[in-house]
Amino acid sequence: MKNSLHVERAIKKMTQAELADQVGVSRQTINSIESNKYIPSTLLALKIARVFGKSVEQIFQLEKKDL
Amino acid sequence: MRANYLFPYNTRYFGIALILIHIPIKLLWDHYYPNGYDQSPSGKAGFLFSAPHLFFIGTTLMMLVGLFLVAFSRQRVEDEQITQLRLDSLRWAIYLNYAILLFGLIFTRGSESNHILILNIWLPLLFFILRFQWVIYRLNRSARSNDSDSRL
Repeated sequence: MKNSLHVERAIKKMTQAELADQVGVSRQTINSIESNKYIPSTLLALKIARVFGKSVEQIFQLEKKDL
Repeated sequence: MRANYLFPYNTRYFGIALILIHIPIKLLWDHYYPNGYDQSPSGKAGFLFSAPHLFFIGTTLMMLVGLFLVAFSRQRVEDEQITQLRLDSLRWAIYLNYAILLFGLIFTRGSESNHILILNIWLPLLFFILRFQWVIYRLNRSARSNDSDSRL
């Protein structure tokens, strides 16, 4: 699964730490999600999407290998 | 939010203290009773309340409680990724534990088997702690290396 978290953060001029604070996880977790080392739960994905005011699908997308 | 049944963050320091206190006490005891506690002066009769047995239980409890507190105290931010890492580490610890247990049961007998069982008391917890702390260290290192990105 790929994501556009880094881009969304850049648009909002938001640091990893600020996003982490808003969704209640550590900065390391946000970093892992951005570098595709960790796939967030549905709950966390929804929280992240809400911060950026977008739907989950606009931020997280399935890749061919996931199908 | 589901309950995670973990100890508070600061209890890890109490756990580390218990483990550190236990080591010199055990070393001193082994120095004075080099043949092990089964052959110590108190003998076998009434072993339950004999000094060597009570000492063995006392030190084992001290070490186990220490390892438990270190292994199962909360991280500063106990989020879902940490929960995942905890689960992975626990799985590897169980694999290793049973591999050593099976190996021990097959290739040892008599009192040697007892040593394997005693090893099994603390080995899974120790391996869990080492593996868990190692992956957290790697996670932190990876996050630090991407620090410039996070500041935009």
